[in-house]
Amino acid sequence: MTDELDLLKKDWQKKEAHLPKLSYSDIHKMIWKKSSSIVKWILIISILEFTLPHLLYLIPSMEEGLKIYDNIGVSNYILVTSIITYVFAIYFIYQFYKRFKEISVLDDSKSLMKKILRTRTTVKHYVIFSLSMIMVTVIIMAIGVFLSDNLADAFPELKEGLKHISEEKLRFTLMLSIGGFGVLLTLFMGGVYFLLYGLLLKKLQKNYKELRQLEF
Amino acid sequence: MKKELEHKFVTELQDNQNIVHKICSLYTNDRESHNDLFQEITIQLWKAYPKFRGEAKFSTWMYRVALNTAITLYRKSKKRISTQDYESVIFKIKADEYDETEEQQLKLMYKAVRQLGDIDKALVFMYLEDKNYTEIAETLGITEVNARVKMNRIKTKLRTILNP
Repeated sequence: MTDELDLLKKDWQKKEAHLPKLSYSDIHKMIWKKSSSIVKWILIISILEFTLPHLLYLIPSMEEGLKIYDNIGVSNYILVTSIITYVFAIYFIYQFYKRFKEISVLDDSKSLMKKILRTRTTVKHYVIFSLSMIMVTVIIMAIGVFLSDNLADAFPELKEGLKHISEEKLRFTLMLSIGGFGVLLTLFMGGVYFLLYGLLLKKLQKNYKELRQLEF
Repeated sequence: MKKELEHKFVTELQDNQNIVHKICSLYTNDRESHNDLFQEITIQLWKAYPKFRGEAKFSTWMYRVALNTAITLYRKSKKRISTQDYESVIFKIKADEYDETEEQQLKLMYKAVRQLGDIDKALVFMYLEDKNYTEIAETLGITEVNARVKMNRIKTKLRTILNP
């Protein structure tokens, strides 16, 4: 076998004559093109993941939704949850920036892969945290609905329609829909996240595993 | 200053472009992907160039960036047009230089190497480029002993691919 590989080695050197030859201007044009490396995609997706949950609050209907918190008497708890979320978001963004800066193509392959995966892990933790906060918000709302004395007043625009429904039934329906919405949203965001990164990092993860396995 | 750096880089890359082309030919199956990967490697080399202080040879430094791009950073585009004629252009073997069995053997070998995983290809590539195990180990981030073990395993793997 060694003989065959050496045969290949000899041929390999002769092969140079048949390789494409790019001109100076061909290469010069290339250096100003945009990269489409995995690292760049991770950066773009991560920035989206950091900003999207916060952009949601800018949608007018979401702002109206905030009034409901007031009406069912949970706005203080929601405020605390929001503050915690923002403090952690800043922490995660700082961590992410630090990790991202560490990535260098001049590292050896194993370290490079490790750093990219660590950067991704930071975002993963942020996403898990965000999803948990969504769940916490949903739970607070559900508890608010459960404890609220006058539910129909909490939804002024629905008041007319709600007249015919008994308080108990309304309470139950609301809790169920809030809970259902929370679970669906969490599952959806989680699904999008894992699909996105699963596809993007499949090759990298496989190669990293292969290099790491050599150590055992 | 920037212009000067640009000129120096492009000239050096032009002189050493064979290295990048060889990596592209191992890691891609069609001309379009070949150009794609070449493009990405060029961008990564250019981005890292300010950090290249000239302590190492330009070509040595290139191996690391180019291989890292091929096995870590590069995302294969979805278009998968496998063109047979491309392979015969890149791995063209002049028939008159070899006797037929040798030519046949080489063709099989190239085919087998192309079936290997990304990491294995990197090892074979550096082996074919006459790099020693110290350099192979440093580039990939493994120990020299592990590089040797891995190379032996690849040889066995190639043997099974060739003689199923």
